[in-house]
Amino acid sequence: MTDYPVLTVTTFLPAVGAVLIFLLGSERLARWIGLATTLATLAVSVPLYLNFNKGPNADRLQFVDSAVWIPSWNITYRMGVDGISLPFIFLAALLSILCIGASWSTIRTREREFYAALLFAETAMIGLFAAANLFLFYIFWELMLIPMFLLIGIWGGPRRIYAAVKFLLFTLAGSVLMLVGMIALYNAFPGAGLDFEKLAGETLGPTFQTWLFVAFLAAFAVKVPMFPVHTWLPDAHTEAPTAGSVILAGILLKMGAYGLLRISLPILPDAVQLFLKPMLVISVVAIVYGAYVTLAQTDIKRLIAYSSVSHMGFVTLGIFTLNKSGVEGAILQMINHGIISGALFLCVGMIYERTHTREIKDYGGVVKAAPTYSVILAFFCLAAAGFPGLNSFIGEFLIIGGAFETQAWLGAVAIWGVALGTTYMLWLYYRVAMGELNPGLKGLKLELNVRELATLAPLVFLTLCLGLYPECVLSYLHESVDALPGVTP
Amino acid sequence: MNGPNVNDMALLLPELILIGTALAFILASRRIETSSLVTRVTVLASIASVLASRWVLGFDYVEGFGGMIIVDGYSQFFKVLIASALAVVALLSMNRIDAEHVRAGEFLALLLLASTGMMLAASARDLLTLYLGLELTTICSYILVGITVEKPASNEASIKYFLLGSFASALLLYGISLTYGVTGTTDFAKISLALRDNDLGGNKILLAAMGLLAGGLAFKISAFPFHAWAPDAYQGASAPVAAFLATASKAAGLAAVGRVCLVAFGSEAYVLSVVLAGLAALSIIVGTVIAMAQTDMKRLLAYSSIAHAGYALLGLVCGTTDGASATMTYAFLYVFMTLGAFGIVIALGDRGETLNGYLGLAEQRPRTAALMLLFLLSLTGIPPTAGFVAKFVVIQSLVDTGQVALVSLAVLAVGCSVVSAFVYLRVAVLMYMKEPQELEPARCPLAVSAALAVAALVTVIGGIFPGILTDWAVAPL
Repeated sequence: MTDYPVLTVTTFLPAVGAVLIFLLGSERLARWIGLATTLATLAVSVPLYLNFNKGPNADRLQFVDSAVWIPSWNITYRMGVDGISLPFIFLAALLSILCIGASWSTIRTREREFYAALLFAETAMIGLFAAANLFLFYIFWELMLIPMFLLIGIWGGPRRIYAAVKFLLFTLAGSVLMLVGMIALYNAFPGAGLDFEKLAGETLGPTFQTWLFVAFLAAFAVKVPMFPVHTWLPDAHTEAPTAGSVILAGILLKMGAYGLLRISLPILPDAVQLFLKPMLVISVVAIVYGAYVTLAQTDIKRLIAYSSVSHMGFVTLGIFTLNKSGVEGAILQMINHGIISGALFLCVGMIYERTHTREIKDYGGVVKAAPTYSVILAFFCLAAAGFPGLNSFIGEFLIIGGAFETQAWLGAVAIWGVALGTTYMLWLYYRVAMGELNPGLKGLKLELNVRELATLAPLVFLTLCLGLYPECVLSYLHESVDALPGVTP
Repeated sequence: MNGPNVNDMALLLPELILIGTALAFILASRRIETSSLVTRVTVLASIASVLASRWVLGFDYVEGFGGMIIVDGYSQFFKVLIASALAVVALLSMNRIDAEHVRAGEFLALLLLASTGMMLAASARDLLTLYLGLELTTICSYILVGITVEKPASNEASIKYFLLGSFASALLLYGISLTYGVTGTTDFAKISLALRDNDLGGNKILLAAMGLLAGGLAFKISAFPFHAWAPDAYQGASAPVAAFLATASKAAGLAAVGRVCLVAFGSEAYVLSVVLAGLAALSIIVGTVIAMAQTDMKRLLAYSSIAHAGYALLGLVCGTTDGASATMTYAFLYVFMTLGAFGIVIALGDRGETLNGYLGLAEQRPRTAALMLLFLLSLTGIPPTAGFVAKFVVIQSLVDTGQVALVSLAVLAVGCSVVSAFVYLRVAVLMYMKEPQELEPARCPLAVSAALAVAALVTVIGGIFPGILTDWAVAPL
């Protein structure tokens, strides 16, 4: 049924679309090519989800594409997915489509470059999750920077250049240390050619592991972002155009945590044990500190951005609990956060398009002018707050369960974080939607149109789906998480 | 020992092609009105020279002129690089020199002779041949920098370059004579033997000789603290000349440093490693930091070239053949991405010279801006461009030594590459994120487009399929 190299095609199809946009040189066609390419990308990736073997005896890495690449360095082109990476490929392919939907009428300047950058970003995102060796992983990791830099810097808000440069320098500073770490690994095991599976099979000395862990952590911590290197995030998220914020929150933040799962846990297990305590503490600090800072925000986008710091704290907490419940919860929560914060940024972007303000005090009583919009916003606010029956609830539940297994006080602090999360989300909703209609909003047509509803609908569906039947993602995870070294069942 | 014969001459076929073309241009110079024909001939001659460089490698002997000249994978690698850079520079200069009222025949003859000198330096197996090659290059370069006689800045740059350059040549020559005094020879292989047999390890005069040689050669690659001429010379010179100095000239200098360090002074690897590490680290830091403050594009690229000289030296710091190969790869890829960046400067005409000229370029010329972005990313070292591969190989050779000092040097180098991101992406910010303030630049001539296409192709392919190049970059011995 699938006689094409699924992963390779899925990864590079968007890049082909981007080149096509540049070659055709038509501003008018750009968004159509963008839409067609992202839809086609999701379509060609479908066999991945249908034919993935979830059974206990299946191969770890499936849909492997490999080819000779740089024989003299012993590095091969190798792509493959396991249960951990698969959901992210779906999320990246889906969010890219929605990004195009969200930009359809908002981006009216230099459309060619916009959609080309978006498509390049999609290639980088999917490629990162599909990469089966560290060299490819690093290339996609860095490739992601440039389209994001341009998306923020060209189509962003008033302080876009500051935000774009800050984003770039922070992430680059982290990733060059990863480069040194990668080269050290390459030199230590020339035969492995940086292949993830082969590296995981090698035994590394404890000192070497410690240094490598620090080098890789520098890159991952900036991307996640972990406290205290999160300061680029509020600026980047706030200034980015809607599509940029969605990609940042939905996928880019997950790349760091994915790196922890893909590299730190399997390849550096001893160093992980060594750094376990500090990592757990940093995670709960991020949860609580992030939540308090979120409470103080007056700008909607900034509020959602800071809430990401708190939510990603849950993810790192789950990963470093090193038990099955925590790690699965963390991965599920990464997906959930991708869906929910993506959706929230879309909601904010849609209303910003009409009101041109992000200040919470300029809103109020939106429910009277835009009932459908308000219902959807309420839905996602509740989802972000961890409302039972919606997706975040399951993820947070698993993570907190895992935390209690490790150390009870971690779980207790995390629950405090959940309570704060409910507070800031509902308070945001209260200030935006409830009460009397803000006079400044009178006469504006706030209700969503069909295109916007269609953009949000898939996310509503996924939020419900994952909330009511989490097994649809968890079933992919079980075997792959079991195989992670150091994770207790 | 017999005089030179046909076999010796045949080894120098790539150089002879260029010399022949240059002489023809000089003879016909008065009749050459525009650059269009001579440029084409120059490009053809460089292509012939590239092919000849590969062909000569197939001979069953490698030494000529009584051991003064060696033809091996190392020398021919650099000859191919120098001849290709010459072709690209010739294309870049095609319309520019006519507009600047420079006589095309003389200009191209000087370029050809300078390239010949570089090739000789790459093939040198004797300090005297090396000196001759480098001097031929430098003397032609003095004239090339000042060739736009109508521009006072160009004259000034030429004088500054000449004064500092003569000083550096004197250092080099002094170093050669001290080496001869200590070892009794100028032949690389014999120097190496003399050092080993006579146990000259800690000899003070030898140390002085090596220091002087390092200083003289550092000038040629504009490494700190012998870098001061580069920003002035690049800024004053016509842009194609600056491109030539920044690329081919630097490649030849690196070729010379590599062979001298590895072959002649191979036994003194530790001392050389310390000296080169200092030069490299300071070049990287100074080049990167000062580049941040520049407002003139050619000056910015000059400081960038100083930093890149440092990165390229990192391979030689290791003192291993792998390290030397890394330097070769670095030199090759650096040449093309820098030619690309200068190509954009040239394509934009007067607008390209100052940083403010790049304001809003992406709106007016999306493709030109995208190409510039590619070259800037490559200079920063972001994958999947050639610049990443270049950084990867030198950092890899440093980390491979496993010595703490060298690994720290690697960390310093990657740290500086983050700072350099600020330098290069400042231009990207101007191009992409600001409003245009000047009228659209004139259309880019076909020759310049062709040169840019070559540079872009190497920058992309070198980044995605580095194996092609690294298999070919083989160190001497």
